[in-house]
Amino acid sequence: MSTAATTSSNLLRTPFRALASLQLTVVCLGLGMLLVFLGTLAQVHLGIHAVQARYFQSLFVFWSPPGMSWKIPILPGGYLLGVILFVNLIAAHATRFQFSRKKLGIILLHFGVILLLIGQLLTGLFARETQMRIDEGQTLAYSEAPREVELVVIDSTAPDYDQIVSIPEAVLAREGPIQNPTLPFTIKVRQFMPNSRLVMRSQAPQAPPSTATVGIGKQVVVSEEPRTVRDEERDLSAAFIELEGLQGSLGTWLVSNALLDRQSFELNGHTYSLVMRPRRFYKQFALTLLHFAHDRYAGTDIPKNFSSRVRLVDLERNENREVIISMNDPLRYRGFTFYQAGFDNNDKTTILQVVKNPAMLLPYIACGLVALGLLTQFSMHLFAFVRKQPR
Amino acid sequence: MLLKAFARQQRCIFLDFHRTRLVLPILILKLFSLVCRRSGRAVAVLLAVALGACGRSDDSQITVYRIPKEAQAESTSLPAGESTASPIEVHWTAPSDWQEQSASGFRKGSFLVRAPDGKTADVSVISFPKAAGGVLANVNRWRNQLKLTPISTEAEAGTPTEVEGHDMFFVDLVSDQPITADGTKTRVLGGILPLAQETWFFKMLGPDQLVESHREAFKQFLGSVHIAERATTDAAAPVSGSLSTNGSGNTNAPTPPPIEPSQGAPLQYTLPPDWQEKPLSPMRLASFKAVASNGKEADVSVVSLPGMAGGDLANVNRWRGQVNLAPIGEDALAKTARHVQANGHDFLVVDLVSDAPMGDQHEKQRILAAVLDENDRSWFIKMTGEDAAVESQRSAFTNFLQSLKLP
Repeated sequence: MSTAATTSSNLLRTPFRALASLQLTVVCLGLGMLLVFLGTLAQVHLGIHAVQARYFQSLFVFWSPPGMSWKIPILPGGYLLGVILFVNLIAAHATRFQFSRKKLGIILLHFGVILLLIGQLLTGLFARETQMRIDEGQTLAYSEAPREVELVVIDSTAPDYDQIVSIPEAVLAREGPIQNPTLPFTIKVRQFMPNSRLVMRSQAPQAPPSTATVGIGKQVVVSEEPRTVRDEERDLSAAFIELEGLQGSLGTWLVSNALLDRQSFELNGHTYSLVMRPRRFYKQFALTLLHFAHDRYAGTDIPKNFSSRVRLVDLERNENREVIISMNDPLRYRGFTFYQAGFDNNDKTTILQVVKNPAMLLPYIACGLVALGLLTQFSMHLFAFVRKQPR
Repeated sequence: MLLKAFARQQRCIFLDFHRTRLVLPILILKLFSLVCRRSGRAVAVLLAVALGACGRSDDSQITVYRIPKEAQAESTSLPAGESTASPIEVHWTAPSDWQEQSASGFRKGSFLVRAPDGKTADVSVISFPKAAGGVLANVNRWRNQLKLTPISTEAEAGTPTEVEGHDMFFVDLVSDQPITADGTKTRVLGGILPLAQETWFFKMLGPDQLVESHREAFKQFLGSVHIAERATTDAAAPVSGSLSTNGSGNTNAPTPPPIEPSQGAPLQYTLPPDWQEKPLSPMRLASFKAVASNGKEADVSVVSLPGMAGGDLANVNRWRGQVNLAPIGEDALAKTARHVQANGHDFLVVDLVSDAPMGDQHEKQRILAAVLDENDRSWFIKMTGEDAAVESQRSAFTNFLQSLKLP
């Protein structure tokens, strides 16, 4: 290292020691307990999903004074606490680390805790839970995010495939212009409503004229609603989008996941359709529901077992087999786990929870390491103690 | 060396993802690279990998992909002869000037009829399992789309015709007033074909004049319908259908099939205009929400139990308990209950209002219920809700009783 670097490294030693201190650990754990407590209380008004995002999967918990638009951080969020604890633990090892056989147990144990923290972070960032709703006889090659929408522009010009441009909710919510090299127009999001109420214009004759100039939107009156916090309810999102081609505006459409039909138009010899729908995640394989079984205890309506007999077809890997997915027996395939989550439609539709968590194994390994570390440490003490005993 | 490469990587992350949440961890990381001894570096690299991964979230990425046309994808991925679909096939021939559309959702066939002035009518072919609620319920569903009042007898619904030995029901409906933005009336021509295991619906919907001018073509289209046994070696072509909540803003969206009980013949009824069907629970043969003019909802259930199910008095007293009323005796029941004759059945109807406001909303609660004991079964049709909401739906409840055909 150069001289300059050495000087700066000396300057930085003191704050680094503070970063490695045990006091910091205690403060973080205390704040963590406070966060869990306040987060639990906040679920009453916000619902579990919003609390998870605002309290635990965030750097800071913000609060805005009533009636104000600005907000101030009042608590460190779950991610920040996790990162500080993680850095604290590593810093402690980095400053005081000396490898000796005596400390093997402690090292293993702490490495396990570090892995647990990393695993949690990765789960928070990458794990995705989606759903597949399949009717008997139906084949699906995608799962849907139940609480997230996407706007898709479908180019159905080609005879054998549809080209789809998927714009996730997070992009729509910015309400800015959206461009994609495959589309000959710019999408301008005039207004995005995470939750809304749609009423036919004929039922609300005194409503102001619609922003929409094309499609079904002209006949519909939309009003924004607060996002639902209840677990059994779903938001009906809506957006007014204006498309602008080279020759100017093509019109403003209303899109919503409450509208079932595609709204199509033609431009430069291509047929485009606009749809807002639950966000889809296509897979490289397809599932067909052959039969859904809902066994009840004899003579009662009490459910005994739910199971779905599905056919898994994966042309890429040459898979074609029947699988039974039941309550405690999920299907694991290509990194996805399919759990039997529910049913609908008089037992003719199955609902599968589709979980992809690349960090799924980390907590198991971490707990194994912690257990091994504890065992090593205690048995070393035990052996030392036994050896010291006078015979 | 490793650290240099690593520092470059950090810069990449920093430039590529202008995400505030990464700034802090990266600063901490820089601190590390300056202070750490060799022992700590390995851990720092680990940290970098974890943080580098943070930037790859796809929640705000626009993606472009290609999928096979939906109907095609379905048929190619299903192996031959493995379908659970019905053993019959229904074919049809459409007039040449109808433009074929790709069938999607519930649709098994879809056509667009264009007028010279640019107006269009939509032709759809849909099938639902079993009786799908019966002819009457479905005709009333269409009438509702045209803002027409429901009818109560099948004779008013349309005219029966015959297709290959099966009864087909021909329906011709036109709205009383313009219901679309362009100020023209809307007409529906429909054919309902009940088969052993499913019911097929053929429907043309569009501006009155245009549909009227295609009446003969539509009749020919119905006449072309041909029913064949499905060959067992045939690759099945099931229809995709992404179930979605039924949007209130779309009169043309196919409605999920109406209620059918899991055993016996289906329950037939006419849905009052303010009522909406609700998902069934194990006990309920039918379930509705009745929306009063003030926006309040009342819950309506139809339950059938074998035998006397405890008798009328016990059930009425159970309901009285639900609205905080004291139990009564046989005499009092005979005095307060009234009898409603409907379709040859004699319903005992009770109307119970709580004396004081109760529940979360602090409103008076009311139960309006009809009981019928017949052929060793008991039937309970019950409306529960706030007093005012139930009051406003009283006549709808009576109409519903009149329309109800018990199996």
